[in-house]
Order: sequence, then C-alpha cells, then structure tokens
Amino acid sequence: MQSYSRNNIILRVNDLKTYFFTRRGVVKAVDGVSFELRQGECLCLVGESGCGKSVTALSILRLFDSPPGRIVGGTVVYNSTDLASCPDQELRKVRGKEIALILQEAQSALNPVLTIGDQIIEQMKIHLPLSTDEARFKAINLLREMGIPSAEDVLNYYPHQLSGGMKQRVLVTMSLCCDPKILIADEPTTAVDVTIKAQVLDMFHQLKTKRQMSLIFITHDLAVVAEIGDRAVVMYGGRDVETAPVSEIISAPAHPYTAGLLECLPDLSREMSRLNSIPGMPPDPSKMPPGCTFHPRCPKMIDICRTQEPPLAEISKEHKVRCHLYA
Amino acid sequence: MRKGWLRDYILKRLLYSLIIAWGILTVTFILVRVGPSSPADKYLANIAARGQDPSQVIAAIEARYGLDKPVLQQYGEYIFNLLRGNWGWSLSTSMPVIELIKHHWIYSFQLILLSSLFAAIIGILIGIYSAVKQYTKADYAFTFLSFIGISIPNFWLGVMLILVFSVKLGLFKTYYDTTLPLFSLANLKALTLPVITLGTGMLAAYVRYTRSAMLDNLRKPFVTTARAKGLPEHIVIGKHVFRNALLPLVTIIMFDLGSIVFGGAYLTEIVFGIPGLGQVSFNAIFANDYPVVVAITLIGTLVVLLVNLVTDIAYTYLDPRIRYE
Repeated sequence: MQSYSRNNIILRVNDLKTYFFTRRGVVKAVDGVSFELRQGECLCLVGESGCGKSVTALSILRLFDSPPGRIVGGTVVYNSTDLASCPDQELRKVRGKEIALILQEAQSALNPVLTIGDQIIEQMKIHLPLSTDEARFKAINLLREMGIPSAEDVLNYYPHQLSGGMKQRVLVTMSLCCDPKILIADEPTTAVDVTIKAQVLDMFHQLKTKRQMSLIFITHDLAVVAEIGDRAVVMYGGRDVETAPVSEIISAPAHPYTAGLLECLPDLSREMSRLNSIPGMPPDPSKMPPGCTFHPRCPKMIDICRTQEPPLAEISKEHKVRCHLYA
Repeated sequence: MRKGWLRDYILKRLLYSLIIAWGILTVTFILVRVGPSSPADKYLANIAARGQDPSQVIAAIEARYGLDKPVLQQYGEYIFNLLRGNWGWSLSTSMPVIELIKHHWIYSFQLILLSSLFAAIIGILIGIYSAVKQYTKADYAFTFLSFIGISIPNFWLGVMLILVFSVKLGLFKTYYDTTLPLFSLANLKALTLPVITLGTGMLAAYVRYTRSAMLDNLRKPFVTTARAKGLPEHIVIGKHVFRNALLPLVTIIMFDLGSIVFGGAYLTEIVFGIPGLGQVSFNAIFANDYPVVVAITLIGTLVVLLVNLVTDIAYTYLDPRIRYE
C-alpha cells in the first residue's frame, strides 16, 4: 500500500542531540534521536508533551532558541549536507525552500502587524526569481488551492482578521509557496476544533497524494497517526523508542510505552467509565532517570532496565525498538 | 485597509484639542494676572530714584497696557483679537507677539528636532543591538552607560560639555552663534553640544525601551516562522521583530517630544544662549510680559496636542488591530 521506496531516503536524522544549557542545569530535550524520512511518505513523530518531538522538529532546521540551545551531537543529512553543522547561510537556503516548517501555535505563528500577502510574498522573493506581481499571482492561486475564498482580499488582511482555521491554511500556503520537498508540521491539529481538524488532515493528505511531498507530522494523537501516517517514530524522554509502519504500531506495538499510549485511546465499542492513562509523569529532561528512561512507569520493568540503556533491537527490517525485552 | 472611521475620529479629536487648548489658555491668562507682580515692577527702581509716587506711575502704566480693566473684559478682548489672528503686543520688548515668535521659533524647532532625531536613531540602534546580543559584555556595557545617561541632569551635562569641549579643548564656541545661516554645516556644528545635552537623557532611555520592546517580541512564535521561511537575520530582526517593538517606542518618543517642548529645551537654550522660545518665555515670565507668556504657553499646548493626535493616528498604521471608536 505504501508508494515509497525503501531506498529513497530524503532526510536522515542520526543520533541527534539538542541540549539546552540553562542556569538550572542541562536540559537534554533531544538525546539521541535517529530516523529517516523517505520520499513521499508521511512520518509521524508521536509522544506525550515534553518528550522532545517539537525540539526534534526545530532542530532539523536549527530553529530552537540559541542560546541556550545547542546541537551537541549527531547529524541531519539532507542532500548530502549536514544541516546540524553547515554554515547559517547554507541553512537559510534550505529553510522554507527545501524544507518547510509549520509551527505548533497557528494563532501566534503569523506576524500580527504585517499583511498576509507581505508574509507570503517576502518568502517567495527570497528564494525564487519572481517579481512581486508574479509572486502575488502565485500566492493567490495557492490560497485558492488551499480552499480560501476571495484569496485576493485575504492577501490584504492582517492575521487578526482571519479565523483559526483560515490562519492554519495561510500557514500551510506559506510553507508551500516555494515548493519545498519536505514539510514538517508540528501539531497542526491540536489548536483547532474537531470539524477543522478533519479539514486540516484532509489538506495534509492531499499534499502527500497530489504533490508527492514528504511529510513529518508531529502529534500526540495516535488516532491522527492512524489516519495520516505511513510510518511512526514513538518518542520518549528525548529518544526514539520505537519505529515501525503505522499498521504495526497500532496492531502489534512492541515497546511497553507504545502499548500504554494505545491503551489510552478511547474505545467506542466498549462501555468505559473513564479513560486509561499511563501512570506517572514523563521524566524531567534535566533529570533523566538512569537506564531506560521509561523504567519508573513501565509495567514490564526488569532489573536491567534500572541500570542499562536499552540497545536498539530489530523486530523486523521495518520495526525497531529500544527495549531490553527484545534485546 | 478601509479607514473611513479614522476621518471622523480625527475631526472629533481636533474638536477636543481646541477645547483643551482653550481651557489651558484661560487658566494661564487668569493665573498670570492674579499674581502679585505687575509689568510695571521693572520701573519701580527708577520711580523711587526720581521721588515720584509709585502707585500713580503703576496705575498709569497699567492703564496704558489696558491692565486696569476688569480681568473678564481683558479676557474677552484677548480672545476676540486672537480669533482675528492678533496675538497682542509684547510689553517688555515693545513689538507684536507674533513677530517675536516668528523671529525665535526656528531656534527651538531646530534644537528639538535634531535632539529627538539624534536620540531616537542612535538610541534605537543601540537598543536593538543590546537586545539581539542580550547578556553579552556589549549589552552589559550599554545597560550601564544608559543608566548613567538617564541619571545625568541635562543642564549639568551642558555646563560640563562647555567646560571640556569649549573652554579646555576649544573645539566649539561657548555660546550659540545666532549670526550663522540656518542651513549650514557651521550651524550644525554650533548645535552639536546643545543637541548632545538635550538628547543624551532621551537617548539613554530609548536604549532601555528599545531593548525591552525587542526582547518582548524576539521569542514570539512568529519570529521562528520568519526564520523558518529562510529570511536573513537582518529582515527577521529589522522587519518582523522591530515592527512589533515600534508601538511602545513611538509612544515614548512622542511623549518625550511633548515634554521637551515645555521643559528640557528651555534649560538647554538658557545654558547655551540659544534665543529660542524657551528663552523668550523665560524672559517674559520675569518681566511679567503677560501676552508673551500666554502666547507661548498656548503654542506649546497646541504642539503637544498635535503630537498626541499624530501619535494616535500613527498607531493605527503601526498596529492594524487598533481601532478607535
């Protein structure tokens, strides 16, 4: 069912570590994450808040606040360039042109004092050899394609004149305006209500099928993953703990954490008085527990989990997990 | 954006401004007259020397200036003349008030304009730099210097600058030379010390305000969006962040402009001997030259009201979310 080819890797993140050096200590927000994005697929990064999903996304384009943040290890390879270490100038040519990012907070991700048109067109004029009129024309077409009525007028609007769903569409339009190869979307379905959520998911689905884009979709919602994802990376404590095709993640989760997340989903076929939850809290990234970071909450914990970090185990070629149970 | 409502708002504000100006005019007019001193005071020494009766002479002088009439009648006549464009006659300089103002306003205007530009441009640039380089040595140094700048009284700074640069180093004249043509480099040079004197306090304050307004916006999500678009850093800072920081800055700069019209420029003019309106009104107050005092107060009021109106209109362009009812 997947249209991607296994060999067509467009982005490879390898053992990425992004630490924040604060007065209260070192916060290891991302502490050794590896995954690959294949041409034309939708890869989901899943996990609770604070597990490092967003920082991982920001780290790909080095967009976290620096200082205090710094990439202390690992590589992000795109087109044989390591984005984690290349000069700023080279990175700027990738940002928005090759890899686009949509931030989590759609409500505040647009500049409140600049018109929508200005914000879309300035990006095109940086990356593409277009005149203002040509860029304007392209922006109008793109806004229409995203289902925005009277697109010419919207170009002259300011963000506060748009609804939440419209802002989300404008942000997607903006991210697409330079025809990037990769789109990273951070929780695009979180801040919008349920009816808009379906529209947003539909929009991303079309990006994949019509434009053959490669997507990194960040969410905490496994129901969304099931709907849109091809493969998923489950993150916990700043690490990737399980990577597998979405169908396997849903039907045969290997990591106890993934299994726990699935348990939390409401099952409408059964009477339930209350929703399940994983006991305990995600670890404080400045005070990670030793061994497997999940062991304090893990129902299948064994002695070795307390002291030793689990190695990456291969269940199959496509299914990898960091857990002592499979080592 | 359609701004039809803005025209109505401006008209309404102009009407309010006129009412406020009229109120301040009335208060000033009455205050200068209820005081115990009189324009005839300066003749008292002569009168005593000649052995004349002071009360008779004072009465004669006051009658000549129309000050013996009831205050209400004087007030009515003043307003009537003012509406016809007649600002009255200066008692101490023996010339029409309007001529006096025409002759002196440009000296105040050039000083205020240049000081504000000097303070705003340099203050904002340093403030932006400080915010972008937050917690570096340069930021700490500028913070320290700006606190010194804010704390120095400008009349003291003026005297010190004259002592060092004019008296000791001989780089500038110790007083402002009124014979220089207005649009000349020599005039600009002559204004250097006065502009630094008047501008330093404001400049230092603008460094602080700019820094904090920039920091308020530097970490907002839309800044990350701007970077994610691949914009170069000077556009991210200079356009996306600065446009959002501008609103509080315009507020404070315009407020300062209003307050130096009445306060700061006045002291600087006196220290450097600049014959601006500040000095004219200073002399007029000591000479009990009522028409000049009232006229300059009225002009200052109108300037401040106009500056406020321009500020409020500027807001609507700086922040499209602002709308007045």
